[in-house]
Amino acid sequence: MAVNERNIKKEISQKLKDDVLRGALGRFGEAYPVSRAKAYENVEDIEALRDELKAMKVAAVADIEAIADRFEAEAARRGAKVFRAADGPALKKYLLDLCKDKGVKRVVKSKSMASEEIHLNHTLEEAGIHVKETDLGEWIIALAGHTPSHMVMPAIHLNRQQCAEYFSKELNEEIPPDIPFMVQTARKTLREEFLQADMGISGANFGIAENGAIGLVTNEGNARLVTTLPRVHVVIIGYEKLIPTVEDAIPILRSLPRSATAQLATSYVSMISGPTPTLVKQGGKWVEQDKELHIILFDNGRLKAAKDEKFKEIFQCVRCASCLNVCPVYQLVGGHVYGHIYAGGIGAILTAFFNSMGDFEKINELCIGCRKCTTVCPGRINIPGLIEELRVRGVKDHGLPFSLKLLFENVIANRRLFHSLLRTAAIGQKPVQSGRFIRHLPLFLAGMTEGRSLPAVADTPLRDRVRKITKKLASPAKKVAFFSGCNMDFVYPETGESVYKVLQDLNIAVVFPEEQSCCGKPVVGFGDVETTKRIAKRNIEAFEKAGVDYVIAACPSCTETLHVTYPEILADDPEWAERAKAFAAKVREFSQFVCGEYEQAGRLTKKPGATKVTFHDSCHMKRVLNIHEEPRKLLASTGACEVVEMKDCDKCCGMAGAFGIKYSELSAPILKQKIENIKDSGAQVVAVGCPACMMQIGGGLDKQAPDIKVRHVADILADQIKD
Amino acid sequence: MMKKVCENWEQALPAGTFGPHLFGEFETRAKNVSAEVFRVATAAEAQAVLVELAKSLGAKKAVAVDCPLAQSAGAYEALRAAGLEVYTATDDIAAHADTADLGVSGVEFGVAETGSVLQDALAVENRLVSTLPPVHAVFLKSGNIVPAMADAIGAVAKVFDRGYLSFITGPSRTADIERVLTIGVHGPSRFIIIAVDETAGGGAA
Repeated sequence: MAVNERNIKKEISQKLKDDVLRGALGRFGEAYPVSRAKAYENVEDIEALRDELKAMKVAAVADIEAIADRFEAEAARRGAKVFRAADGPALKKYLLDLCKDKGVKRVVKSKSMASEEIHLNHTLEEAGIHVKETDLGEWIIALAGHTPSHMVMPAIHLNRQQCAEYFSKELNEEIPPDIPFMVQTARKTLREEFLQADMGISGANFGIAENGAIGLVTNEGNARLVTTLPRVHVVIIGYEKLIPTVEDAIPILRSLPRSATAQLATSYVSMISGPTPTLVKQGGKWVEQDKELHIILFDNGRLKAAKDEKFKEIFQCVRCASCLNVCPVYQLVGGHVYGHIYAGGIGAILTAFFNSMGDFEKINELCIGCRKCTTVCPGRINIPGLIEELRVRGVKDHGLPFSLKLLFENVIANRRLFHSLLRTAAIGQKPVQSGRFIRHLPLFLAGMTEGRSLPAVADTPLRDRVRKITKKLASPAKKVAFFSGCNMDFVYPETGESVYKVLQDLNIAVVFPEEQSCCGKPVVGFGDVETTKRIAKRNIEAFEKAGVDYVIAACPSCTETLHVTYPEILADDPEWAERAKAFAAKVREFSQFVCGEYEQAGRLTKKPGATKVTFHDSCHMKRVLNIHEEPRKLLASTGACEVVEMKDCDKCCGMAGAFGIKYSELSAPILKQKIENIKDSGAQVVAVGCPACMMQIGGGLDKQAPDIKVRHVADILADQIKD
Repeated sequence: MMKKVCENWEQALPAGTFGPHLFGEFETRAKNVSAEVFRVATAAEAQAVLVELAKSLGAKKAVAVDCPLAQSAGAYEALRAAGLEVYTATDDIAAHADTADLGVSGVEFGVAETGSVLQDALAVENRLVSTLPPVHAVFLKSGNIVPAMADAIGAVAKVFDRGYLSFITGPSRTADIERVLTIGVHGPSRFIIIAVDETAGGGAA
C-alpha cells in the first residue's frame, strides 16, 4: 500500500528485536494497571471523575476563543506579555527576537512537548544559544539525540548502561551505570545550568483564563528552578491546555498524576500568575526585581481541531499517556515507530493535526481498534473512533489504494461474486490465485503465518445447511433471523448450526435471509464509508423481508456494525435513516440474548461441571457492546464447565481484522502472550464469543498448546442439548 | 491588588471541614511519599525538632524564611545557638541558598487526600530555600489540614489572584531511568514537615 512507504515494517521489525525496549515496555505494561488502580483507591468514583474532566474540557473547547481572550487579557493585566503563535516559524521568530532583545545566551528548559513538536532546541542552538533540557529523561534523550518515546517517560527505551554511556560521553569521564549516582551527577551538572541561565522555558499543564495563571505538574523540581532562577520566563502553552477557572483545575489535578505516574500528587504542583520576583546580581549585590514573563499561546493546528465537530475531542487530552501504557501495539514497538513526538493512538491523531495527514497515514494502521485505551483515558477520548474518522477522511480526500478499492467496491459489495469466490476457495482448499487483491480478502484466505494455523474454508457453508437444520416448530415463542457473518457462514458453519440448535431449543423459530452478506466491517475499517453504505442497505433490505422479532448475530464485530455503524452512516440519508434505526433496534448479540431467555426460563442457575473453561473477552464484545457477564453466566449454567479466569482476559488476541495478517510480526507476540495466559489459567477449553478470536486463538493453540481447545459459547451450549 | 496571599488561607478554607482530625490521614499519605513528619504540641518542641535535625545532618549553614511559627518557636535563634550560620535576609538567601545544607520555611496548609502542603511561593526567598538546598524543612499548623485536593483548590480559587503557589508532596523524585524511583533530583532529597498543635497565639489550632 502506498501509504506505507516509510518502511514502517522495517522499523517495526527493528523495534521487535530491541530487547532493552521490549523488556522495559513489557515490565511497565505489567506494572502499570496495578499501580494505577492503587493510585485511584482513594477516589470514590473514578467514572464520575472521568465524566467531570470530560465535561469541563468539552465546555472549554466549545468556548475556546473567548477563553483564550480572557486568558490573554488577565495575564496581560498582571504584567505578562502574551504572544499568539500560529505555527512553529512564528513561535521561533518571536523567541529568537526576544533572546536577542534581552541578551539571552543561556536557556534552561523544563518539559515542553509543544517545543519538541517544532524542534525548538535545534533552532535556538543554530542561533548560537546554549540550551539545556533539565527534566532528567529529556536531558538523557537530548544527549542521545533521540526524540521522546513516551510522553511521560521520554527515555523509557534506554537502560542504565546506555544512559551511563551517554553521560560518560557528555561529561568526558567514566560514569558507572548506577542509577542514584547518575541522578546525582545530573543534579550537579544541571545545577550549574540553572544558576547561569538567562532564560527559562517551561511548558504548562493548564492555563487558567480567570486569573491568567499557568499550572505545572512535575516531580523533579526542575520546573520550579526554571521558573525561579533565570530573569526571563517563557511559557509555551497549547490552546488545548486552557481552562476557564481555577476550580476547573481540580479534575486535572486529581486525574493526571494518578493516570500518568500512579501518584496521588506529583512532588510539585505550581501555579504562576503574572511576573514574580527574582533576584539578579547588580554591581556585586543581589537586587530583587520582577522577572519578565512571556506566554506563547501555541496553535499549530490546534484551533483547526477545536473547530472540527469530531476532532475537538483532542482537547480532552491531558497528556497522561495512559492510552500508551495499555496499548498492546505500543507495548511491543514503543514510541519511535509513531514517527513524531507524540506516540500511541493519541499520538497518531495529534500528529495528523500538528504535523500532517501524510504522517498520520504512515502509522494509522498501528491502532488495532481494541479500545483498551478508552477504558482508562481520564478525558474519555474515543481514540480508536477518531482514528477511524481520520481514515474515512483520508479515503474521501484521495481514495483507497487501487487493490482495496477493487476488492471493496467490486467484490465484497457484490454478494454473488464474493460468495462464489469463497466457494471456489473451498473447492481448491487453497487460496485463490487469480490476482493480487485476493490476498486481501477476509482473513481466512491469507494462508499460514508463523505461530498460528489458519483454518480452511468449509466444504459446505452454513447457507447450504440451513434447510437441513431448520426445525418446524408448532407454535414458536419468537421468530428471529440469524445474521451469520462471513466467518460463521464459510469457515465455522458448525458453530452456526450450534446457534440454530440453542435457539430452536428455546422454541424460537430461526430463519436465514439468503441475501445477507458481509456486514461491511473490513470495508468501514479502512475508511470506505460509501461502499459500506451500499452493503448496509442490501443487508437491511434482506432482513426487512424476513419479518422477524429480532436479528441475532453470534459475532460481536458484526453485531457492532449492524447495531451501531449502520444507523450512524445512514443517519443523513432521508430514505434509509429510519429503516437503519428500526433494523438496528432489532439486532441482538447471541450470548446476551440467550442469557436473557435462559433467565426467564429459569435455566440460568449455576451448576458445577468437570471441564475447566476460561472465557476470552473479545475487544468489541466487552468494550463496545459491554457484554462480559452473560457468556460467563451461560457457561456456568451448563453443568459441564468450571469457569476459571485467565490473566488479562479482556486483552486483544491480536487478530484485529486485517492487522493480524498485514502485521503478523506484531500480531504473533500479542497472541503468544494470550496463549501463555490461557495455559497459566489451567483451562482445558477457551470459550469465545467471536469467530475471529476463535480463528486467531484456535490457530495459536494448534501450534503452541494443542491440548487446549477453543470453542464458541454457542458450541458449548449446544453440546448440552439433546437432539 | 492582593499579591501576597498567605495571611488569607484560614478564611478561605471551608469552615467546619478542615482541622486536626484530618492530620492522621495527612501524615500517612505524606509518609507514603517519603516526607518525614514530626507532630509536636508546642512551639518549643518544634524548635527542638529543628535543632535535632540540623545536628543529625551535620548542617553548617541554613537559609530560612521567617514565618509566625518559626518566630514563636524561636527556631532560627536556636539554630544559631547550635552553631549554624543562618541566613534570613533576602539577599543573603540569594547568595547562600545553593551552598546551604538546610532550607526552612513555613507552609499554609496540608491536604489529607494526597499528603501535600501548600507553599505561598510568591516571595522568591520561599522558592530558593525550598528548591536549592538538599534538605527542606517546613513549619505547618497541624489544624490546617483540608480533606482533599478539591477543597484545597477551592480555597486557592478564593484568594489566588496573582503570584506563585506550590503544592509540595514529599521530596523531589524521578523514575526516568529504568522506571527506578530515585529520590532527590533537582530539588531536595529530604522533605521534613514539623507540624505544631499550638498556634502563635498560644491556643490550639
